[in-house]
Amino acid sequence: MSQQEKNSSIPYPVKLVVGVLLMVGGTYLSLNSEKYLPFQKGLAEQGLPLDLGITVAVIGVFLMLFPVIQIFYLNPLSDAINERTSELEHTFTEAETLRSEMTKMRNDYEQRLAATEAEARSQIQAQIKEAQELRQSLMAEATAKADEMVKRAAEEIESEKQKVLSQLRTEVVTLTLAASEKIIGENMDTDKNRKLIAEFIEKVEVPS
Amino acid sequence: MVDTKVARRYATALFTTAQKNDVVKSVEDDLSAIVGLLKNDAKFKDFLLSPHVGREEKIKIADKLFSDRVTALTMQALRLVLTKRREKEIANIYSEFVALRREHGSIAFVSVTTAEVLEEDQKKALLAKLEEKLSKKVEAEFDIDGRVIGGIKVTYGNFVLDGTVRGNLRRLGEKLRHDILIS
Repeated sequence: MSQQEKNSSIPYPVKLVVGVLLMVGGTYLSLNSEKYLPFQKGLAEQGLPLDLGITVAVIGVFLMLFPVIQIFYLNPLSDAINERTSELEHTFTEAETLRSEMTKMRNDYEQRLAATEAEARSQIQAQIKEAQELRQSLMAEATAKADEMVKRAAEEIESEKQKVLSQLRTEVVTLTLAASEKIIGENMDTDKNRKLIAEFIEKVEVPS
Repeated sequence: MVDTKVARRYATALFTTAQKNDVVKSVEDDLSAIVGLLKNDAKFKDFLLSPHVGREEKIKIADKLFSDRVTALTMQALRLVLTKRREKEIANIYSEFVALRREHGSIAFVSVTTAEVLEEDQKKALLAKLEEKLSKKVEAEFDIDGRVIGGIKVTYGNFVLDGTVRGNLRRLGEKLRHDILIS
């Protein structure tokens, strides 16, 4: 691009004059090569048929025709290249924009995802904590109930035991007294009865 | 339906009149005989307490049976009781009469229960001891109850002096049961 601008900076008439001079000069040299360029003959014999005069003339023609080439070939090509470059730049820009938007969206998405995950994690943690508390509460309640039931059962067992023991002892007392009554009744006679009555009369105290 | 208030009123009136006429003992003996007859003679009891027999007829039969055996005051009271259709109260009237006589004579009544018949010396000793302790004259009723096994039980007023074998065994049983319940 910068070279083209440099080329373009040389005015075309200068190029035309130079081209004509080169063309004429080249042609002249080519026609008088044996005189001005004798080494060409040796090169031709060695297999290199170089004609510098023609080459210079062609360069001159090229300089004269360069604007035409430029108008019909280089400029469209340059425009196409520029357009293509512009399109590519636009495309790259769009792609970059899209990429940045995508990056932004991805960041947003990742942030939202992270926030959602954090919230979900927080909720899960809260639920787990609540479940654990509920579990501990239920376990504590169940343990307390079980302890209470065990305690009550133990008390009932102890109570029943004491009750049975009391009944047994009472029964023993009743049977013992019944046996005693029977034995005393069988061994009681008039003399003993009189003695008991006499003792009663002697010791009796009367409440007033 | 026995009404002790009614019996008490009749007994009070009869006792007051007997006291005035100084026939308390005779009236008590008369009432005792009549009550004894009621207890021992079922036919007489059925007749006297029957609601189907008229009061005139009851009075007529009572006159025939008792007029020449009891004092005039007792007979008069009996007629009054029959006229008022209070023949069911006769036993209570007797009990209340005896109670009034004891109240006025400051006499304590005791009920003595033994397994065997008390001999006279023991009866006298017991009554003497009770009169000494109570500072009152004592009248006693002696019952025989083989269930007491041995010893003697004296009951008067709201008090019971239990010196029987059964009573001692009962108290021992109560004490043992009480100790069992406490332990």
